[in-house]
Amino acid sequence: MLLKNTWNEFIKILSKPRSYLGVGALTLLIGIIIFAMKADGKSIISFVTASFEQTLTFNGHILNGYLIAFIILQMLIVHVPLLVALVTGDLIAGEAAMGTIRMLATKPISRTNIVLSKFIAGAAYTLFIIIWMGFLALFVSTTIFGTGDVIVLNSDGLVILPEADVLWRFGAGFCVAFLSLLTVSSLSICLSAFAENSIGPIVATMSVIILFTIIGSLDVTVFDTIKPYLFTTHMVSWRSFFEDPVPWSTIRQSVIILVAHNVVLVAIAIVRFNKKDITS
Amino acid sequence: MTTEPIIRVDHLAKRFGTFEAVKDVSFTVNRGDVFGFLGPNGAGKSTTIRCLLSLIRPDAGKVELFGKSYANERSAILANIGSIIEKPDFYRYLSAERNLEIFARISGANVGKKDIAEMLDFVGLGDRGKHKVKGFSHGMKQRLGIAQTLLHQPELIILDEPTTGLDPQGIVEIRNLILRLRTEQNKTVVLSSHQLSEIELIANRMVIINKGKTIVEGAVKDLLDANDLQVRIETDDAVAAKSVILSAHPTIEVTQLNGRELEFPVLKDQVHLINQLLVNAGIPVHAIEPKRKLEDYFMNIISSEHVA
Amino acid sequence: MIKIAQLLLLLALPLLSSAQTVDDILSKVLTKLNSVKDYKVSATIKANIPMIKILPNEATIYFKQKDKFKVESKGITILPKQGFTDINNFLAKKDYIAVINDTVTTGGVKTYLISVIPNSAGGEMILAKLWIDPERSVIMKSQITTKSNGTVTTSYTYGDQVKYGLPSKMVFEIDIKKFKLPKSVASDINKSSAEKKKKIGNKGTITITLTDYQVNKGLSDSLFK
Repeated sequence: MLLKNTWNEFIKILSKPRSYLGVGALTLLIGIIIFAMKADGKSIISFVTASFEQTLTFNGHILNGYLIAFIILQMLIVHVPLLVALVTGDLIAGEAAMGTIRMLATKPISRTNIVLSKFIAGAAYTLFIIIWMGFLALFVSTTIFGTGDVIVLNSDGLVILPEADVLWRFGAGFCVAFLSLLTVSSLSICLSAFAENSIGPIVATMSVIILFTIIGSLDVTVFDTIKPYLFTTHMVSWRSFFEDPVPWSTIRQSVIILVAHNVVLVAIAIVRFNKKDITS
Repeated sequence: MTTEPIIRVDHLAKRFGTFEAVKDVSFTVNRGDVFGFLGPNGAGKSTTIRCLLSLIRPDAGKVELFGKSYANERSAILANIGSIIEKPDFYRYLSAERNLEIFARISGANVGKKDIAEMLDFVGLGDRGKHKVKGFSHGMKQRLGIAQTLLHQPELIILDEPTTGLDPQGIVEIRNLILRLRTEQNKTVVLSSHQLSEIELIANRMVIINKGKTIVEGAVKDLLDANDLQVRIETDDAVAAKSVILSAHPTIEVTQLNGRELEFPVLKDQVHLINQLLVNAGIPVHAIEPKRKLEDYFMNIISSEHVA
Repeated sequence: MIKIAQLLLLLALPLLSSAQTVDDILSKVLTKLNSVKDYKVSATIKANIPMIKILPNEATIYFKQKDKFKVESKGITILPKQGFTDINNFLAKKDYIAVINDTVTTGGVKTYLISVIPNSAGGEMILAKLWIDPERSVIMKSQITTKSNGTVTTSYTYGDQVKYGLPSKMVFEIDIKKFKLPKSVASDINKSSAEKKKKIGNKGTITITLTDYQVNKGLSDSLFK
């Protein structure tokens, strides 16, 4: 029954116009970034390298597809949660608003399975978004700009990664980015279980992300103790794969915390949905 | 007709915050019944029906369907029920066919595309299967709702206010459809309504609830076709008429409504005798309006609700 | 600043006595350098710079008089902004005052430490210190201070191409005090505020090993476009 309803959820997601809104927005954004890079990429790069270029010269094919893919990821990973939440926040609450939740909950499928199937479908959508983003970022960028070494600006300096050492980092980075977006998906599904309309959970999800991000970026020692436990802290941990050496322990910690968030959020959603009186 | 109970509701109670939606509702539905669930708006019908379908968890009392309880046999129970609660809601962005496919897939039964096409034909939507539901009228959605309830061949069909919002023709269509379910498919149907006339036309048994409590339960025939009537008579002289009636039947409680009208309870087979008595006494009778006691009672509930 | 330095040098000039005059030494060096019309060389570049992590990289360097210079590499390479052509060009202009400060042994070679100060204050160069091996007429070490780039110290090792004054290895020591990282778009919040404030050094080195020189084979101008 879980698989059957998951299939149903796929059909619903695929048939909803809003699902394509996210994909369309993503495509447009990436298109704009690639266009901007084509038009004025050099000056964007020199923004990063300017202070070094007084003393050093950077030679080689700096503005390449890999670097642009990295820039695209970095720029969009902040916005993609909205596109994900737009769909996943609607999964339970949207049914409540539409009234179909009554039909669904009077079928011989357990409420736990309803939540789980929505979680799986949400995860698949999130995965699709990530793959689509990866395809556009990597494939389109490298087609237009070619490949090359990647200059990455980290908080402690520049890392120049050799071309041959880059693809696996993208692959691993996409996996961790997926996990962090999956957390957004789980959060919005969880909030969705508490709401009767889909706007609430979408806005609430974004508010939580914004709040946590602000707490995370405030350089205040008081917050240092809670920062490691905020999922938003780990939403950028895909970048860790572009450090040298790769901080494996940090990544492991991020993965554990993100997985824990997913488990807890889905568990809350299941408990809540099981206890919920459907009065809509 | 068999009297094997399919639904047994026992002292059901449910409260939302401080509001007691259902205080004490009990009734039994037998296999093959078209069971009317009657009550004015806000009587607790929807809450009770939602409890029947496990949408709402009761605070107290017992709900048993097919001799099973939701606590441990939820799926088995729901696999045997088809329902529309309040109004049939569908995925507006999907076609009628796709909607039925979605619900059929999780109905626990093996429903094929052919079954879906046949069901759409059965409810008169055979040519609209490919159309998106967002373009459907309320009546079409209601018929699609019926299709959805029947698709997996359930034993029990629960319809919450199925004719609400329908035009007269739609109401007749749905009514006929329900009757066909009983006669052609031998389904057990529970039908909630706030209109006695509707229940009377199709139900064989019914329960009336008000303010969250069961008022009366029984066969529609017994409850509505009772010999006991409340009769209103219009004459030229109500005072004279009253004394004529009391002289012949001193035990009747006659109420004088105004200078021309009287009201009193009387057995159905005595109405013509009262008429004859008055005519013989030279008191012309302009109108005799018999009212069934239950209907009167129910109309009182409705009217008091409207006044409130 | 430059004026004062010039004054001090002028005052010190009569005190100096040496077998060769400063101009002799410098012009020999310059002559040797100018004998190279063009070259192509394979380079292995290793950068050890705080704040920049880069693996050693292979590149091909092309040079053509007077100041055409090109680096070709498969990947990204980092080179000091000055060091290859600057000294030649500066010395070629002969618009400077030079003075021998000392004799110093550097890298096992006895050298003259010569300070070179431009006459005009308009140029980029503020002060160049050159450690010159008078025997081979090659620069063993240089320390160039410019207005915008701070001070870069370069050590030279010579091999086969010493006759052209072309080094087989150059080690650049770079002042990185001026390096500032722009605020990253997505700040690295994996690191706590305490970690971020970690002190970093302010010197970096770039080591370039040069092999397979092809000198004066005639490189076309179009190569540098």
